[in-house]
Amino acid sequence: MQRKKFSAAAFALALTITVAACGDDDEATDTTAATAATADTAVTATTETADEADTATTEASEEAEEAEPATTAEAEEADTATTAAGEAPMTEAPDLSEAIAACEAEGNKVNLIALPDEWANYKGILAAFGEKYPDIEYPVSSPNASSQEEVDAILTLAGQDDMPDSVDVSPAVGQSMVEQGLFEPYTSVYDAEIPAGLKDPDGHWYAAYYGIMAISTNTTIVDTAPETWADLANPEYAGQVSLNGDPRESGAAFAAVVAASLANGGSADDIMPGIEFFAELQANGNLASADITPATVLSGETPIAIDWSYNVPGLAQQMADQGFEFETHFPADGIYGGYYEQGLVTDSPHQNCSKLWLEHILSDEGALGYLEGGAVPARITSLTERGLVTDDMKVNLPADELLDQVNFLTQEQVAAAKEALAENWGPMVADA
Amino acid sequence: MSLTSATTSAPDASTRRAPKQRRSWAWLGVVPFFAFLVIFLIAPALSVFQKALFDSDGNFGVDALKNAFTGQNRAAFVFSVKLSALSAFVGVVVGGLLAYTASTLRRPRWLRTFISSFSGVAANLGGVPLAFAFLALLGRQGLLTRIINDGLGVDIYRSGFALDSTAGFVFVYSYFNIPLMVLITLPAVDGLKDSWREACANLGGTSWTFWRRVGLPVLTPALLGGFLLLFANSFSAFATAAALTTKSTLVPLRIGFYLGGDFSSTGEQQLGYSLAAWMMIIMVVNMGIYYVLRRRSERWQQ
Amino acid sequence: MSASAAGRRRLSNVIVPIATVLVCAVYFVLPLIAMTRFSFQSIPVINLRWSNLTSRWSFDPVVEPFRDEQLRSAMYLSIKLAVATVFATMALLIPTTVWVNLRLPRMRSIIEFLTVLPYVIPPIALVAGIRVVQPHARWFLNSHYSLVPFYVVLALPFTYRALDAGMRALDLKTLVDASRSLGAGWGTTLRRAIIPNLRTSIVSASFLTATVVLGEYTIASVLLKPTLTQELVVFQQSNGQQGTAMSLLLLVATTLLLGVLTIVTRKRGGASVTPV
Repeated sequence: MQRKKFSAAAFALALTITVAACGDDDEATDTTAATAATADTAVTATTETADEADTATTEASEEAEEAEPATTAEAEEADTATTAAGEAPMTEAPDLSEAIAACEAEGNKVNLIALPDEWANYKGILAAFGEKYPDIEYPVSSPNASSQEEVDAILTLAGQDDMPDSVDVSPAVGQSMVEQGLFEPYTSVYDAEIPAGLKDPDGHWYAAYYGIMAISTNTTIVDTAPETWADLANPEYAGQVSLNGDPRESGAAFAAVVAASLANGGSADDIMPGIEFFAELQANGNLASADITPATVLSGETPIAIDWSYNVPGLAQQMADQGFEFETHFPADGIYGGYYEQGLVTDSPHQNCSKLWLEHILSDEGALGYLEGGAVPARITSLTERGLVTDDMKVNLPADELLDQVNFLTQEQVAAAKEALAENWGPMVADA
Repeated sequence: MSLTSATTSAPDASTRRAPKQRRSWAWLGVVPFFAFLVIFLIAPALSVFQKALFDSDGNFGVDALKNAFTGQNRAAFVFSVKLSALSAFVGVVVGGLLAYTASTLRRPRWLRTFISSFSGVAANLGGVPLAFAFLALLGRQGLLTRIINDGLGVDIYRSGFALDSTAGFVFVYSYFNIPLMVLITLPAVDGLKDSWREACANLGGTSWTFWRRVGLPVLTPALLGGFLLLFANSFSAFATAAALTTKSTLVPLRIGFYLGGDFSSTGEQQLGYSLAAWMMIIMVVNMGIYYVLRRRSERWQQ
Repeated sequence: MSASAAGRRRLSNVIVPIATVLVCAVYFVLPLIAMTRFSFQSIPVINLRWSNLTSRWSFDPVVEPFRDEQLRSAMYLSIKLAVATVFATMALLIPTTVWVNLRLPRMRSIIEFLTVLPYVIPPIALVAGIRVVQPHARWFLNSHYSLVPFYVVLALPFTYRALDAGMRALDLKTLVDASRSLGAGWGTTLRRAIIPNLRTSIVSASFLTATVVLGEYTIASVLLKPTLTQELVVFQQSNGQQGTAMSLLLLVATTLLLGVLTIVTRKRGGASVTPV
């Protein structure tokens, strides 16, 4: 009896200790250990940037003047982040040492959210970030979250250590974020190279990339792929047409509705035809009840996907593994291009690490990463001028004549579209 | 929680002199429990009512409660009630039959133990893994979907089936409703003594007479109680439904929808709380009747 | 009783039950089969043929997820929450049930009624209430362990019944009287006289609590706490096969927990696994 009691007590004690020990791992960011370990690497990082700063003018905006041929190594490998010895250091000239040091003080961690691997090659961009800053952790929570869910995470996790530091949201959601003061204004070192249409005048957000809506079809499941918006209403596609979420919450679905509207007699000011188009699809049973996620695409649940064209290349390999073939068509009757907004979240726990992330996606590595994924980076002009963009890089990009047709919605048009969706999508489509 | 009360447990003449003091000491013992429930259960529940009845400016109004029955929310209520009633009915019938089986089949001898153990387990399964299992079985790319398509030539989805339709939900919810019904009903069915059956037969009655005059009346409280419990279970199920569909066509899903969105501009947040308030009201009535019925059915289980 | 009537009765007595059992057996097993096939065979249903039915099976989908950091820490968190909830439940309920059985027998029906309340206030309504209070209680709700008291509440119907049933089987009065008359204080009485006799009930309640906590999704998903089920849903959206395999694992684990529990309590004729 005594022995039993003793072992029970010992067991309880061990359990408590384990629980307490494990608890520390999760919650507390072990800043002291991190700072001790990274002290050396931080020094080397700063010396590296110092070297780069020496060989080039400090302001990155001046790099346009140095039209030196970039290292071919850098051009081909979008995910090698470190500069080759001495060659084309101007592309990494920006001095972020202050932010790097401050980031370390914050805990060397940047909480990211809603960045799926296959979305415009975020897998490559994240890997490049990891190589550029080996000591910074960059956990990505909820990869398939919609833009609205990102805001919800900000509000729900406010004050916690896992609150998102940086977001990537649709213009519709970005608008309400600005209204609620959730974006922290910040001017990037690349600010001058980003066109006015792809950034917020008050520095709340930048649009690091944009793309075009496409219809991607799994041709193993579907015999003839739909090529235009009108095709989608064909009864043979019953239950197969799918969106990437709810347009009231997700940017990709929002864009799909606007695009459908352009194809059906609407305009950037009036998206009701688009809502009506999808109401019709819902009524005749063509609209799938599942949202597009990597899992549903790979299982074949969403064979006809209306999504950004840059979401397709990332899944190509896995689709082939499954034995699926697919085709992507840009519907000629309605071309719509849209961007996403990235920025720092107000009062997030790691403001400076967040700055490093933002600078990274706007940098050359980031831009080339987006390019590889099939999205157009914001600084494409600057990169092209410096000869960093080769033709084989643009293989995933939509054709130039399609890109020329792209007109972004203005903020007023976005607001009007939001309202139309809020009032009509529910009754007409979602819960019909 | 160690109490240093000086009162002894054996009542004696001396305590009769100060019964009040003894009683007040005893109450203290359950205060922590009550306090815990108040803080972590009652208070949130009351907050929901507070939010449903008082708008953002602090004015009292039942408008939100009334608006909960308009538009899509009304459709959600209708769907939820219809679905819960149907899946409760299926659960009662099949679960009742299964309980009857477990109770009456003498051979194989392990069957009863197996059924009751299995029910004990399956009644508590559910939620996310269950939804994934049914998606793998009957989703658009489900195994059974394909088998039926190839074998019978019937594309169930083209025929109008969907996992998030009434039929689909009933099919999925039965997975935990049937075992729950078995657990609830088994004691009651056990209470149907064989001697009653024989007596009925001796008096010239058939099997049907037995059920009509003796069996079902005795079982009715248990069956009705089971129905109510299953109804409550199905009505408030959130996890399974959320994993099965992205639409918000059921009341719990709509509550989740309102909770997860940013409705500060349209004031629809209050609708979510009023939906939750109505849900609780329905549950109170439901479980209240259930409680009474259970008391009555326990009479037969001596 | 005529022979044919008896024969008829025997037949209907046998056919209906057997048919029921068979249909139910098929119904309960099929989804698991489909889930297993989807998890472990890397062939989409549409590409399945008789010829490749046995190809491309592997255990990878259930091994790979363990390498995912976020999923692993979600697993640890859920396990820790389960353990904490068990301890909290015992700390709250054992003294309460002892007290009620000993001193306040009339309170028993009130308390039993209270333990049904979590059924009246379903998790989705409960979490709506938590949301209302959240802006004022961030200091508490920010910690992941703030889920514990709510989990105690959710498990209450099960745990209270288990403990109370065990308690009623004891002759509590005599036990406590004997212990106290031998000079033991309340703490010692609890520890050495009562709890050891409640082992079955405590194990039963603990396993039930663990099942509830491991499977809980509603509260965690609204509050965005990274528990196992919450992370599993997120994980499954990007990795269909692996996510489903992990869910299957969770299902198996829960079944084992409850199965062991049912077998153990069966011997002692103890606690039930029904919530009401």
